[in-house]
Amino acid sequence: MKAGFYWCLIRFKAIFLLRRVYTAKRVEFLYFDIAHLERTELLGPGKEEIFVKTFCSLVSPGTEQAILWGLPGMRHNFPFTPGYSGAGIVLKIGRRVKGFQVGQRVAGMIHHVSHETLSPSLVFEIPSGVSCEEASFIVLGIIALQGTRKARIVPGDRVAVVGQGLIGQLCCKLARLFGASEVIAVASSRSREKISLRGGADRFLSLADGKQALRDLRADAVIEAAGTPQAIVLACECAGKQGRVSIVGSSRGLGRDVNVFELIQQKMLTVIGAHSSTMPGKDPSQTRWTYDQEGRLFLELLQTGRLGVSDLITWRVRPVNCNSVYEALADGAREQVGILFDWKQDETSIALERDRRDGAIV
Amino acid sequence: MPWKEIDETAQSFEEAGVEPLAIAVVGAGAIGQYDAREAIKSGVARIAGVFDVNHHAARELARSLSARFYPSYHELLDSRQTEAVLLAVPHHLHKSMAIEAANRGKHVLVEKPMATTLGDADEMIASCKRNHVDLTVNFSLRYLPRNRKAKELIAEGALGDITGVQIIAHAYRERGYWIGGRSHSPDDWRASREKSGAGVLFMNVCHVLDYVYCLTGLKAARVYGEYATLASPAEVEDIASATCRFNNGAIGTMSASTIMRGPDQIEERIWGTHGTLVLCPDGLSFYSTRPIDGKRPGRVHTISKFSQLSCTAEWVKHFVHAVREGREPEISAKEGWENLAFIATIGQALEKGESLAVPRFTDRHEEN
Repeated sequence: MKAGFYWCLIRFKAIFLLRRVYTAKRVEFLYFDIAHLERTELLGPGKEEIFVKTFCSLVSPGTEQAILWGLPGMRHNFPFTPGYSGAGIVLKIGRRVKGFQVGQRVAGMIHHVSHETLSPSLVFEIPSGVSCEEASFIVLGIIALQGTRKARIVPGDRVAVVGQGLIGQLCCKLARLFGASEVIAVASSRSREKISLRGGADRFLSLADGKQALRDLRADAVIEAAGTPQAIVLACECAGKQGRVSIVGSSRGLGRDVNVFELIQQKMLTVIGAHSSTMPGKDPSQTRWTYDQEGRLFLELLQTGRLGVSDLITWRVRPVNCNSVYEALADGAREQVGILFDWKQDETSIALERDRRDGAIV
Repeated sequence: MPWKEIDETAQSFEEAGVEPLAIAVVGAGAIGQYDAREAIKSGVARIAGVFDVNHHAARELARSLSARFYPSYHELLDSRQTEAVLLAVPHHLHKSMAIEAANRGKHVLVEKPMATTLGDADEMIASCKRNHVDLTVNFSLRYLPRNRKAKELIAEGALGDITGVQIIAHAYRERGYWIGGRSHSPDDWRASREKSGAGVLFMNVCHVLDYVYCLTGLKAARVYGEYATLASPAEVEDIASATCRFNNGAIGTMSASTIMRGPDQIEERIWGTHGTLVLCPDGLSFYSTRPIDGKRPGRVHTISKFSQLSCTAEWVKHFVHAVREGREPEISAKEGWENLAFIATIGQALEKGESLAVPRFTDRHEEN
């Protein structure tokens, strides 16, 4: 019934707006704990839109798992299409779009979908020398970049990064680029120790090392990238006197029983809210870095080889197996960091072929 | 149409590729008659003879099957024609008749439950082992296509780790049931605790417990419950309720009776970390968070059409193949014993008013 309604609706829209209907596949969260690859239909690009064929999309484990679990602040209606960082190729362009051309590689806010119609302001051109896989880190890279920048790291700083998921790993690498003399990775377990040390961290500490070991870090700057109230407390404990704590993770849940006097006031800490949603989009203010500027910088760092992300990819998976991906995340998946949906090899190429034959449905 | 069935069976012996087993049927009541016909349908068995203390019923059955009538159990066992006996007799006779058969070198197919006490079952197993004959218990409902499908779904991970089991089995048994009103050889043994061992638990629920064990691979570790005889002319219970903990930590509940008026209520529900499966007389339905069997996750899928299959014939077929191939039957004596252990422990738990550990087979028997 509902499907029939949407079938009619999209065709009505297509006729009314003089646009075509394309078939695609997308990862959908059907309900709590249930992910599935679903067939979908979407309109071709409007005058100010582009139509992109996705090559790969990166899973944001914390955010996507939070939605699947219905964590506080992350409750959405189902079905829900997850994903916000991907790369692909432009297939069609609206008449008024400037600066993009068919066949151009782009990366940006792309869902876990085989094809997407979106505003060109949401994507960046991928520079030569950067692969689609690397570029698909773009939005997570921006999140890490702005959070690390807000920690105001100066050369010689000792930097602790709390949380060693995807964002935490990127922050370790970026802290090194910002001039930290020592980067200490802090995590709840040692399961990601190797990948942290191989990436940007000089030392690795887990909760099992004890509170005192963490307090002894006396870090000049701490980046919290775990997304829990407990991690924020931990980040403050890792900071030394007059230290700076940049809270990057989307902290879900309520923190209670925090001794603010001992934890923050006595140590004269500067606590910085560094959630990516607070960034200006393209505001050309000279005092603040915009989303657009961070994105371009991230791609430049990849292009010049000063930042590498390929080592963070631990699982390349076909979208048809998305159910297993989220099940593994729910089970902890401590060995996984960067999980990439590979749309190139998927059967969604049928839709691409159909498009090439100009055989749109309407 | 027994003649037609027998003609068809003669042809199927060759197709089955196994030498047919000569099975003598002991007990010519409703179950004995049914089992005998289904054994023939299996295509791997022929009826070597029939015996019942009710000679009239036995003669009738023998004649309809073109089989020999034996006036005594001993004569039947003396016959070299007989390779196995199928015991469809009151429960309290299972032990003595199985042991006698085993001592004469005959394989034993026995109706459920295996015996009335675990001690009796122990002796049956020991005797069969000593005489190198095979023993199986008729828990053939596990061969129902519906149950096989359920087993497949569970094996594919539809449920994840099993966390709960609920068995509901309520029906109505008329007064005549307790005095053999449904049988060709009427007797009131079902009402007697000494002869039948138990009521609804032994008569009905043991089948369900067997296929729940079979589908899930779980075994009950601890059990407690309540039972009573409230509205039947019988010594045995006509209503029972039990709660158990399985060996993986899952919790199970069982509610059964033979005194519920109105439509029967029969349902088994098994659930786990990733889904739920419901078995009912109309078929099965399942819900999984995983894409299983090509089905979309997050939806209830119902399967109501299954192939027609005689599960008793399947039971006989599997047993005959096991005998001829020299391997343990699929429904082994061990499984019969474990089923009995669970049900018998429910009764003991009630009498003692406490929860009891379900005995483990390996604590009393050496595994082969």
